[in-house]
Amino acid sequence: MTRTARVTNHPPHASVFSPAQSGLRRAALFSVLSAALWPVQAALVATALAGAIVGDMVSPWVAVGAFAALGFARAVLTWWAEALAQNAAEAVTIAARYAIVQREAARAQDTALGGAGAIAALASEKLELLTPFLTRYALARARVSVLPILILTLAFWQSWAVGIILLVAGPLIPVFMALIGLAAKEASARQMTEIGTLNDLLVERLSALVDIRLLGAQDRVIAGFSAQAGALRERTMAVLRVAFLSSTVLELFAAIGVAMVAVYVGFSLLGAIGFGAWGGGLTPWAGLFLLLLAPDFFQPLRDLSAAWHDKAAADAVLDELAQYHAETVQTLPGAGAPALPLRGPASITLLGCVTPAGQPLPEITIAAGERVALIGPSGSGKTSALRLMAGLSLPEQGRVIVAGQPLVADNADAWRARLGWMPQAVHMLTGSLRHNVTLGRAGDLDQSLRGASVAHIVAALPQGTATPLGETGGGLSGGEARRITLARALHGMPDVILADEPTADLDAATARLVSNALLAQAARGATVVVATHDPALAARMDRIIDLGARE
Amino acid sequence: MRALWQVFALIWRDQRSALLRGATLSVVVLAMGAALLGLSGWFITAAAMAGLAGMGATFDVFRPSAMVRFLALGRAAARYGERLLTHDATLRALESLRLRVLRAHLAAPYDRMIRLRGAQALNRLTADIDALDGVPLRLVLPVLAGVLVLAGAAVVLWALVGPVVALWVTGGYALGSGVVFAVLGARAVPLSRRAEAATQTFRARLIDMIRARDDLVVYGYLSTQTDAVLRAEARSLTLQRQLDRAERLAGLALATLGALVSAGALGLGLWAVQADTLTPAFAALGFFAALALGETVFPLRRAIADLGRMADAARRVVQIDTGQRQSKNDTTPQAGALVLDRVSLTRAGSAAFVLRDLAFRLDPGQVVAVTGPSGTGKSTLLLAIAGLHPLASGQIRLGGVDLSDCTEATRRAAVTLLPQRSALMAGSMADALRLGTDADDATLWTVLDAVHLADMTRAKGGLGAQIGPRGAGLSGGEARRLTLARALLRRPHLLLLDEPTEGLDEATARRVLRGIRSFLPEAAILIAAHRRAEIDFADCVLDLTEVVNVAPVIDLDQRDSPTAPHNT
Repeated sequence: MTRTARVTNHPPHASVFSPAQSGLRRAALFSVLSAALWPVQAALVATALAGAIVGDMVSPWVAVGAFAALGFARAVLTWWAEALAQNAAEAVTIAARYAIVQREAARAQDTALGGAGAIAALASEKLELLTPFLTRYALARARVSVLPILILTLAFWQSWAVGIILLVAGPLIPVFMALIGLAAKEASARQMTEIGTLNDLLVERLSALVDIRLLGAQDRVIAGFSAQAGALRERTMAVLRVAFLSSTVLELFAAIGVAMVAVYVGFSLLGAIGFGAWGGGLTPWAGLFLLLLAPDFFQPLRDLSAAWHDKAAADAVLDELAQYHAETVQTLPGAGAPALPLRGPASITLLGCVTPAGQPLPEITIAAGERVALIGPSGSGKTSALRLMAGLSLPEQGRVIVAGQPLVADNADAWRARLGWMPQAVHMLTGSLRHNVTLGRAGDLDQSLRGASVAHIVAALPQGTATPLGETGGGLSGGEARRITLARALHGMPDVILADEPTADLDAATARLVSNALLAQAARGATVVVATHDPALAARMDRIIDLGARE
Repeated sequence: MRALWQVFALIWRDQRSALLRGATLSVVVLAMGAALLGLSGWFITAAAMAGLAGMGATFDVFRPSAMVRFLALGRAAARYGERLLTHDATLRALESLRLRVLRAHLAAPYDRMIRLRGAQALNRLTADIDALDGVPLRLVLPVLAGVLVLAGAAVVLWALVGPVVALWVTGGYALGSGVVFAVLGARAVPLSRRAEAATQTFRARLIDMIRARDDLVVYGYLSTQTDAVLRAEARSLTLQRQLDRAERLAGLALATLGALVSAGALGLGLWAVQADTLTPAFAALGFFAALALGETVFPLRRAIADLGRMADAARRVVQIDTGQRQSKNDTTPQAGALVLDRVSLTRAGSAAFVLRDLAFRLDPGQVVAVTGPSGTGKSTLLLAIAGLHPLASGQIRLGGVDLSDCTEATRRAAVTLLPQRSALMAGSMADALRLGTDADDATLWTVLDAVHLADMTRAKGGLGAQIGPRGAGLSGGEARRLTLARALLRRPHLLLLDEPTEGLDEATARRVLRGIRSFLPEAAILIAAHRRAEIDFADCVLDLTEVVNVAPVIDLDQRDSPTAPHNT
C-alpha cells in the first residue's frame, strides 16, 4: 500500500510557455508583416514626392488612398499580432495560475517558501509580469531578427554606399546589445529594489501607526520617513542616470547612422558625390526611399531595448515559479469535498506512527465517547497526532485506524465528515460570521453559537450573524474568535471533536467556558480529543496521554 | 475622474518646479523630433531639386545639414534630460503621496488604524500609490506636452507650408486623439475598476484557502472554496480581457489616425504642388512633420489603459481623510490624580455597553491593576483613557483637567499607553528607543537597565545594535521590554500598561515591574493585568467583573479608592 503520494512536478521554463508557442509564432509573423509594410509605404511616398520633383506627378488621390490603406493595414496587422500575443499570454497565466491553485488545494502542508500572502502575490501580480514579456518582448525580438536584414537588402539594392553605412553600423549591434543589457539590468534592479524599499518603509510605519501615535512621534516619524525617502530617491536617480545614459548612447548611435545616410544622400543628390549607387548617381526616388528606411533599420533594436526589462522581470518570475514547483509536497488525502459519513464506531487508533520530524509517537487507542487529553512539551507531536487523526496527512510509517478501518485517501473525506475541528491558529474567512460557522453545512446556527457560549456576543454585534469577518477578525477579540471556531466545530453535531490548544491565550474564565462546551459535547456521546498545555483542561478529561513521556 | 485631478493638484503643489522642467524637456523632445524629420524631408527634396536643376554647387548644404546634426544629437540629449527630470519628478511625487498617506493615517481614528494592520489592506494601499506614478508620467505630462507641441507645430506649419496643411495635421491629431481618448477612456475606466475588484477577490479567496486549508478540508469545504477561487479568477480574466481589448483598440485607432493625418498631409502637399502654390520641398516638410507628430498622440494608448486603475487608486487615496481633529480649548494636564467620573463605554461600532458608570481615582505614585476575563473591557478602558476610544458618557480628568479638552499633543505628553500589541521598526536600538523622545545615551542605558535589557543590548553591541524589520532578531520578551522602555522614556504623568509582562518569565516580570516604578517614581500607573506578578505589583485591584455586576459608585474624594485594597 502506498501511504504517501508525493507530487513532484517541475515545469521548466519552456513548459510554462508551452501553451503560448503556436499563438506566439503567428503573432510574431503578423508583427513582422506589419513592420515589413513600411518599405512599401516608403516606396509610395518616394514615388509621390520624386514625381513632384521631376514634374511627373502621381495622382494625389492615389497617393493619399494608398498610403492611408497601407497605414490602416499595418495598424490592423499590429492589432492582430497583439491580440494573438495577448491570448497566448493569457493561456500561459491561466495555466500557471490554475497549477498554483490546484497545488495549494492538494497539498497537506504549508510551503516553506512563504506565507499565503506570498503565494497570492505570485499567483496574481507576479504572474502578470509574464504578459508584457510575451506581448512586447517576444514580438520585438521577432522583428529584430527579420527587419534589419530586410532593410539592409533593400538599401544594397538601391545603393551600395548606404548599404555599407548600415552594414558598418551592423557590427555595432553587439555593442548596442551590451549597452541595452547594461541599461536594462540597472533599470530592473532599480524597479525591484527602489519601489520595494520605499513601500517597505511605508508599510512598516503604517503597521506601527498606533505606537507612533501613542508615543506622540508623528512629526518625528514623518521627518524620518521624508529623509529616508529622499536619500533613497537620490540613490535611485544615480542608478537611473547610468541606465538612461546607456540608452541615450544607443539613440546617439542610431542618430549618427541615420545622419550619415542623410548626408550621403544629400551630397549625392546635389552631385557632389558620384559614387555609391549602381550605375552612377542616386535618383531622387532612391534618396527619399533610403532616407525613409534608415530609421527603421534601428527601430526594432530600440523596441527590444525598451522591452528588455520585461524580460528581466519575467525571468525573475520564472525562477520563482520553478522553485515553487520544485518543492516536494505531501498530498492531501481525499479531496476535501463533502461526503457521506464513514460508518463505524467513533474510535481512533494510532499504531507506530512518527511525526514529520521523525519522532515516534506512542500507540494511542481512543474508544468511542472517550475524553482524552494529549499533553507534552512543544515539539512532542501533539499537533501531528491530531492531524493524523483528522486525516489531514497520512502516516509515513505505521497506521491510523478509524471507525474500525484503516484511514486511507479513499475514505478520508467520509471520516472527516464526522469530525469537529478546532485549530491552534484561528483563521477567519472573508465572509459573514454565519458563513464562517456553517461553511455550507446544514445545522442549527443558534444552537452552535450557544454551545460555544458566544451567542450573546454575536447578538450584541451590530449586524449579528451577518457581521463580515475577515483577515483582522472584524472586531472580535482573540477569545471571541476562538469561540467562533468552537461554534464551527460544534456545528452539525459531530461524533468526534479534535481540538488543538483550545484554551491557549484565554483567561481562566473564558478557558472554562470553552472546556465546559467541550465536555457538554462529550456528555452527548461525542469522542473528544484535546492537545493542550493547560493542566486545568487536561484534568477534566477521562485520560491523559503524555507524548513527552518516553519509555 | 475628479480624484485624479485632486491627486495631480497635490503632486503639482508639491513638485511644481520638477514637473515644469520635465514638461519643458518633453516639449523640446517632441518638437525637435518633428523638426528633425520635417527638416530632413525638406533637405533631401530640396537637394534633389537643386541637383536636377544643376544648381548643386550653389545650394547651401552646410546650414541645413548642420541643423540636422544638431537636431539629431540635441534630441537624444534632450531625451536623456527629459527621462531624468520626469522620473525625478515622479519619484518626488510618489514620495509626497506616501508622506500624505502616512500623515493622514497617523491622524486617523483608532479603529481605522487597527484595520490597516491587515496585510491585505497594506498591500492594497501600496499598490494604489504605485499605480499613481502614472498620473504625471503617463497621463498629464504626455498630454500637456502633446498639446503644446501641436499648438507650436500649427504656427510653424502655417508659416512654412500653409494654413490648410497646418490645420489638417494639428487639428486632425488633436480632435482625433480627443475622440479616441473620450470614447475608449470612458469604456476602460469602469472596466478597470471591476477588474481590480475581481483581482482583489481572487487574492482574498486564495489567501483564505491557504490559511484555513486544514479547517476547510475537515469540513469538506475545500473543493467549494477552490471553485470560488477559480470563479473569481475567471471573472477577473474576463474583465482583463475586455480591458486589453480596449487598449488594443486605442492602439489601432491612434495608429489609423497617424496614417490618415500623414496621408492627408501628403495629398494636400501634392495638390498644392500641382496648383503651383507650394514647392515639393515644403510639401515634403509637411508630410514628414505629420509623420513625426504622431509621437504626440501615441502615448495616449498607455494613458487610456491605465486611466481606470489610476482613477480608482486616486479615489481611494484622496478619500483618506487628512482632517486634524482639534478640540476647542487646549489645556495642559498637570501631574495629579486620574479621576474617572461615571464613565460608560460601548463596544466599537455598537450600542452594547462594555462598561457602565465606572468611577475611580488613581493618585500619582500609585499602581492600580484592572482585572477581569477577556471581553470585560480592560483594554477598551485603557484605550478610552488614552483617547483612542470614545466615551459613551462620563468624564476622565487628570490633575483636574478634562482630557477631552486636550489636543493630541498635550494629551500624549501627559498620558502614555503601552498597548497589548506593539510594533517595532527596522533600525538601531537607539532609534527604537528615541521614537518618542530625545533622551541622551545615559538615559537610554538607565531605562534599558530598568526593563532588564541592558545586558542583552551590551551583548549585541550596544545602542547601535540593529533590529530587523518588525523587530526581527529580538525574542517576543525582548521586543515587549523594548516597547515598554520606549513608553517609559516619554516620562508621562499617567502610564497605562496593557499586559506589560506578557511573554516574560515570572522572575523577569517582577524585576521589570520594579524597574518601571524606579524609573517613574511619581507616575500614576494603571495596568490591565492578567498575571499574578502584575496583580502583586499593584497597590489596588479593580475587578471589572464586579464593577459591571454591582455598578458601585465610588466616593471620588476618598483617598483609598478603588474598591478593596489588595493585600500582598
